[in-house]
This record gives sequence, C-alpha cells and structure tokens, in this order.
Amino acid sequence: MTVDQMTPLADRRGSAPAAGRAGSRRHTSVVTRRHRAFYMFAAPWIIGFALLTVAPMAYALWLSFTTFDGISPNWHYVGLGNYRELFSDAQTWRSLGRTGLFAITSVPLSIVAGLGLAVLVNRPLKARGLFRTLLYLPAVVPPVGAGIAFKQLFDQNSGAANGVLNLFGIDALGWLADPYARYVLIMTVLWTAGNIMIISLAGLQDIPRELLEAARIDGASAWRSFRSVTVPLLSPVLLFQTVTGVIASVQTIMPLLLAPDPTPAGITALPQSTYLYMMHVFAEYFAFGRYGYASALLWVLFVLILVATGLIFRATSGVVFYNVDPEAKK
Amino acid sequence: MTATSPTATDPTATRPVRVASAPRPAPRIRVNRLVLYTALVAITGLFLGPFGWLVISGLKTPAELAASPVHWLPEHIQWHNFADAYRLIDFLGYARNSLVIALIYATLVTLSSAWVGFGFARLEAPGKKTLFAILLGSMMLPQMITLLPTYLIFAKLGMVDTYWPWVLWGLSSAPYLVFLFRQFFAGLPRELEEAAIVDGCGWSGIFWRIFLPQSWPVLSASFVIAFTWTWGDYIAPQLLLSTDRTTLAVAVMSTYVTSAGTPVTNLQAAASVMYVVPILLIFLVAQRGFVAGTATTGLK
Repeated sequence: MTVDQMTPLADRRGSAPAAGRAGSRRHTSVVTRRHRAFYMFAAPWIIGFALLTVAPMAYALWLSFTTFDGISPNWHYVGLGNYRELFSDAQTWRSLGRTGLFAITSVPLSIVAGLGLAVLVNRPLKARGLFRTLLYLPAVVPPVGAGIAFKQLFDQNSGAANGVLNLFGIDALGWLADPYARYVLIMTVLWTAGNIMIISLAGLQDIPRELLEAARIDGASAWRSFRSVTVPLLSPVLLFQTVTGVIASVQTIMPLLLAPDPTPAGITALPQSTYLYMMHVFAEYFAFGRYGYASALLWVLFVLILVATGLIFRATSGVVFYNVDPEAKK
Repeated sequence: MTATSPTATDPTATRPVRVASAPRPAPRIRVNRLVLYTALVAITGLFLGPFGWLVISGLKTPAELAASPVHWLPEHIQWHNFADAYRLIDFLGYARNSLVIALIYATLVTLSSAWVGFGFARLEAPGKKTLFAILLGSMMLPQMITLLPTYLIFAKLGMVDTYWPWVLWGLSSAPYLVFLFRQFFAGLPRELEEAAIVDGCGWSGIFWRIFLPQSWPVLSASFVIAFTWTWGDYIAPQLLLSTDRTTLAVAVMSTYVTSAGTPVTNLQAAASVMYVVPILLIFLVAQRGFVAGTATTGLK
C-alpha cells in the first residue's frame, strides 16, 4: 500500500507547480496569492517550531555555558567549563556506554522480532486480524502501565517470572536489580515490537507479487527469496525503524518507571545497569539542580544523535533500495 | 518430499512433478499450519502475559502479593481492590485532569496539523521543499532534549501548573500528524478545489468547507493518536503540573502509599488497570485508524 501510494503522490506534486505556472501567464496575482496561502497554512508549524523547539534548544545552549541552578542568583558564565567537566566525568562515559549497548541490542532485536511477527501474520491464516490486533496491543499501553506491569511480572517474590523459574527448580532472581535489570529493560522494548510489525506488514504488502513468484519459478527457497527479494525491498522501512528505534531508546524513561522509587530523587538509586545517559541528565537536573551542567549533557546527546543518525544513513546508503516505480519517471 | 529436489533447476519439469505429487503437499501444509497456529498462540500469550498478570496482581491481597514462592491465582478474588484504589487517591480528579489535557491537545493538534498538512499537500511556494525536509527531520528530534529547557522557559512565563503548555503544543501541530494529513490531502483529486477557485473562494474557505469535511477518517485517527500520547505521557505532566493538577499517569506511578510511606502494590496494580483500560478500549474501537496512521509514517 505504502510505496504504491507514494508514487502517484509524487506525480501529483510534480504536476502542481506546472499548473500554477500555466495559470501565472494570465494572472500573476493568483500565484503570489497561492504562495502567501502556503505560508499562512504552514505558519502554525513554523512559529511553533521556532518557539517550542529552536528557542528551548538555544536557551539550553546558553545555559550549558553557565552554572545556572534555578534558585541561586549568583550563577555565572563558565564558558566550556561544563563541557570540560562532563568529559572528565566517569559517570557520563559509563552511562553513555550503557545507552549505546542498550540501543545496539534492543533495536536490532526488536526489528527482527517485529519483522518476524509481520511475516507470520502476513500469511493467509484464520483470525489473523485478531492476531495482528493482539500483538499490536502492547504498543499502545502507556509507559506507566507497562512499567507497573513489568514491575509486578519481575517482582522478586510475587512475580510470575520467578514463579516459572521455580517450576524448573531455579532460585528466584532479583530481576529488577543488577545485573538483570538491563535484560528486563530490553524485554520491555521487545514487548512493543507490534509497532514495528505493523509498519513492516505494510511494507510486506507492497512487495509486488510477481517478484516473489519470479523468485519461486527460479527455484529460490523461501529463505532465499526472503533474503534476496523481501529484505531489500523492505530496507527503507527497516532503515526508518532503525533510526527511530535508536532515538527512542536514547530517550527511554523505562528505568525510572521500573524503579522502586519513581521520584526524581530515586533516580540516583537506580540499578547501575539501567542508569542510562538520560537518567544521568535527570539526576543532575532534578536531584542536584545543576541546570547548566544538565543542559551541556543534553547538547552533547543531541550532537551524538545527529552523528549516529548520519552514520546510520551513510552506512546503509549502499544497502537501502528505494523502490522507484519506472512509470513515475517519465 | 522426494519429488521436490529434481525440479529445482529445471522449470519445465515442475509442472508434471507437481501434479504427480499433488496429494502429498496437502498434509504437510496442515502440519505447517498447526505449528504456525501454535507458535502464534504462544507468542500472543506471551505478549498479553504482562497485562494479564497486572490484572491478577490487582485482584490479590497484599499478603498474597508479598508471598514467596508466588501465588499464581488469588485465593479469594479481591474485587474491592478496584474500589479501594479509586478511593485511596482522588482518582476521579486525576482522571479528569488527564482527560482535560488530552482533549485540549488532541483537538487543537488535529486541527492545526490538518491545516499545516493541507498547505504542504496542496499549495506551492519557494522554500516549501526545505521546510518539508525540516518538518520530517524534526520528527527525529529527541523530545526529551527540548523538554527540560522548555520547562524552564514555561516557568519564567508563569505557565507551570497551568494547561497552557498543552494549548501551545496543540496549536503548533505535530510533524507526525502533519505528515499523515499531507499524505491524505495530496491524494484527493484536483477537481475538488478548482470549482471553488473559479467561484472566488479563498484557500481557507476551501480547507474548511471542502477538504476538512472529506477527511473524517484521518481526523479521527489523528485525534485518537494524539489523545493516546497525552493520556500516556508521564514526563511532561510530572515536570509541569503540581500534585493536585497532575494526570493519572503521574498519580498512579507515585501516590499509592500508606500514611507510613509503604507502597500498596496491589492497589497500584488495580489502579493501573483502570488507567490503561480506557486506552485499550479506544484502540480496539479505532484500531483501523491507528494501524493506518502507523503504517503511513513508517514508509518514509
């Protein structure tokens, strides 16, 4: 559905300025009015973006050069002082490493899981609509609900996870403490793989049937045609999933929601294995009130995300195939 | 099974061999299906497990919840936990707060995103391509990064502990929803606006009178998606609203404690069931819109 829809859209967009130009020969004012109309329609987003995104980021950049703490009137400009401190702070590097590890494990796992589920529910099965709905369901459970559900599930005493382990004669594990908390964190991500399933499913249904049939006639096995036809054609979808997945995993607040004490003060008591970079930011911000330093941490994270997405796009530029319909090119 | 190997390389040989072995694949397919259904049912069970366990936890006594090894099912189902969870905190008040900001945000953001999406779909102007690239790029901008400085700015403007931030966020549209509307509006036929232009109708008139009434499916999908975001949001209300004005998400997370300060986990579980169920119901009713929304943005 998706790629098919894109092409006619691109077509139409291509013809729109042409129509405008044809009209312009007669009434120039129609074109300028149309331009003005565009800005009138785009204005809410342009103004909102400037005031609610660009301005806060600029403000944070300014704060990152100061010792501002929100209370003390004696804050001052320290230049790159916060940045120098940040790079020599062992906690910054450790939490950054954990965040990287979390992204590198949870993103590929959830993409593989989501794609696997999509392939399963793309088959002609009875009640597949029901399966799709139920598998997607966890993706709409609010994070707070998910956090509480996982806390109950992995509770050391009353949790079902340890209950199952007991059935096999294994002693109860402290799932929500080190070192296991990180695995619970990854499981909360995998739990919402239905999100990726739905997007992959839309991609799967776009793959021209003829291509898969041609592969079969050529004698390709199911696995071979999946690898050589399905995956390349899905690659833009998978790339999108990777980029958004990395950005989401960097921002996850799940450790906070799984913590015994979800208040800002409790952030500092989080299990070390789930003390991600964002938790470090929260701790500096809420627990220590160091707004300037936390702003520097945020800006470093922002730059790192830009670099990471740039690298992902660059690394995949040769492997991602955009299905350009030859019909659309003429 | 033996018949399949010689056919692999010679396409002309496939037909006769297939016909000859026609009765054979049938049972094999049935076994496959059985495996498939078993796997699907097992995975679905695993996916629904955490939520099921939450419900079960909400029906136990505190003693059963603390018991080790685990009590799988409550001995006597404690239905009153739900009533207690409702009474222990000002549940209705928090639910009303959640509802109010979700309605404010979802209504405004749906209209503003439709408005912006219409511009990007049907109008042309120099710089539009760049703006659209920025719009799509901003979808990838981590929101957490802007949220903390946004809080400081709102604090300066005296908008902390009011619902103004949600009004402003709503008015400024959301890239994800703008993209959804742009896709939809771009797909409508050109004839729709042509007659109106000839009649001298302005672009905003065309939007309100012709395009918006056509877009009920996207309007409802956008409204539901935005409502769910706000209902599920934890960090923004936690940052911006005081304990009385905050939302159910924050309240369920942090207010289920006895006067001695010990958490009451069975009531918290019951409360979070009551907090999650409305969203699940909305999802089940509106799942088509949900799925369409998610699937469209994924293709980018």
